[in-house]
Amino acid sequence: MLGLPVTLVADSLAFNEKEVPETLDDFREIQKALQANLERARAATICLQMGEGSGSGVIVSAEGLVLTAAHVTAGVGEEMTVVMEDGTEYQGVSLGLQSETDAAMLQITDQGPFPFVEYDKEDSTKLGDWVFSLGHSGGFDKARGVNVRVGRLVREADSTIQSDCMLIGGDSGGPLFNMRGELIGIHSRVGSSKEESMHVPLREFQKNWGEMFSGQFIGEGPFAQKSQPGTGFLGLLTEPASEGGLRVVELWEDGVAEKAGLKVGDRILEIAEEEATAEVLKAQLAELGAGDQLKLKWISGEETKEETIKLGERP
Amino acid sequence: MKWITLFLLCSLPVVANTLPSEKRKNGPLIQKALSPVQGYLQESSAVFYDNKTYKNFIYGTVVSSDGLVLTKASELEEVEDYVIRIGTKKYRSIKVVATDVSWDVALVKVEAEGLLPVDLTGNSEIAHGTWVLSNGSSERMFRRPRPGIISANKREIPGGSPVVLGVQFQFKDGEIKVNEIIEESGAEKAGVQKGDILVRVDGKDIVDDKSFIDYLRAKVPGDLIKLGILRGSVELDLEVELMARHKLFGGPQSQNDQMSGEFSERRESFPMVLQHETMLSAQSVGGPLFTFEGRFLGMNIAAANRVESFAIPVEELCKVLDELKISAGIQ
Repeated sequence: MLGLPVTLVADSLAFNEKEVPETLDDFREIQKALQANLERARAATICLQMGEGSGSGVIVSAEGLVLTAAHVTAGVGEEMTVVMEDGTEYQGVSLGLQSETDAAMLQITDQGPFPFVEYDKEDSTKLGDWVFSLGHSGGFDKARGVNVRVGRLVREADSTIQSDCMLIGGDSGGPLFNMRGELIGIHSRVGSSKEESMHVPLREFQKNWGEMFSGQFIGEGPFAQKSQPGTGFLGLLTEPASEGGLRVVELWEDGVAEKAGLKVGDRILEIAEEEATAEVLKAQLAELGAGDQLKLKWISGEETKEETIKLGERP
Repeated sequence: MKWITLFLLCSLPVVANTLPSEKRKNGPLIQKALSPVQGYLQESSAVFYDNKTYKNFIYGTVVSSDGLVLTKASELEEVEDYVIRIGTKKYRSIKVVATDVSWDVALVKVEAEGLLPVDLTGNSEIAHGTWVLSNGSSERMFRRPRPGIISANKREIPGGSPVVLGVQFQFKDGEIKVNEIIEESGAEKAGVQKGDILVRVDGKDIVDDKSFIDYLRAKVPGDLIKLGILRGSVELDLEVELMARHKLFGGPQSQNDQMSGEFSERRESFPMVLQHETMLSAQSVGGPLFTFEGRFLGMNIAAANRVESFAIPVEELCKVLDELKISAGIQ
């Protein structure tokens, strides 16, 4: 009896066992499988907006973990707006990424539960299988909704799978599903012909799941570039304070320090959870780049404040 | 809104498993599996051939047994001399009997009898993910079926490309005076001249430049306006076609357009469309869209980009046809 459910699943996806669909009924079976999974897949497919840019992603846990492409998040700790198909907006922050394969994670920071999809943990999808692709092509369009496409898995390589579901800008980071409705890949790039679409297979996510979840930037590009050490800028001048720590003596107008609420005369107590000294500050800034984060603790008047500041670009 | 551009071609390692192209979605073996439904395309679609290049440049949808055919108006206008093939038969005597600018549909008549028209009495209610069938490409005697699925919500496609008259003018002392005419523009073709004063548009007096520009802004490419002109002491009425700004001035394409190949020039401003993801081009719209059961859903009207194709739903198409028939005086 244990074998029964497995048999049923295999039967319903019999079209994957054929070289090509032979009858119209084969096409209808493909349609039936796609439509049975489409609603849930659409609900979990999101648009990611940052500044003027827009990409796609897919939610894989009720707590709001999102899988997307590294060239969409472009870094760790980036804040983005997450838009559901119905237009509901949440806040998200990017976690780790693999810059060499284009895999990335993001966490929705609002309270769940969120609609999510399962992923193909067994890596069971094979060449020729029918697949479907979702994404917010060309950016979010509420009247249109999520764009769905159908095709086959046409090429398999280690860190890339290729389908003939067509993609366009804005689909980046969106999901590719098998006909059981399991996530099997994330849209990454296109080839020279319209029908060459490359996706990051889920096995690449599974390889470094923990590292990405904990916010690591893995690899050296090409899909995301680490910030250049030494390019980060706080926008303040300090001198050692007699009672310990660093006294702020000058602030750049509109610099990130000023925006974080630091004032001339404030005394910085800790930098990255170390006691604030000129050496510590110098060492941190030498290591960090624009966009990286630095945690400061300081006294302003009577008040002790603490803030994680995203560094600006050194002028 | 910008979008995150997809990375372009990073070649895969040589060691890779590949599905032969004939088995892919748009491959010949898939087409072969669609042969039971190919007949719908074969009988009810028309192929328009340019007599200069002998290439097909647009498709049409047969809507009556005696030779009424609907097609995409803006593409038809581009070619002067053409013939139509329906089924396997060629028709040389062709008349454009009426045009609907807002839907970009032209009604064409050929002398024929016994054609198999599409069924205009149906509806376009259809779920996302349902297979649909279009004319992919055409051999002389054979329409090749191309599959796709319904890919997004049925909706209005708003806006559109801003239109231009094709003149540079100056507003001074309460008068709009033409300083320059852009070559190839609607204004040049209509005979507007340098020094003309624009006094009326569609029968209404032009008060100032702002209200005139606002009036034009509400128009879509292909719209005709009647321009009242004062030339010296002579008053003239000229009919001027408004053109899409990008058509006259070119201009940079977005990255998504660059990667979309030959998309339809007129792909915006439709009161209602069905969207599917069949790979079409500017040359392969105008034909019918069917389900795999042969149900007529509508007429393909635009290849918007590489992932989005639009069709006018059958209910709307039916109304458009009725109005076109009335304006052409056909019972």
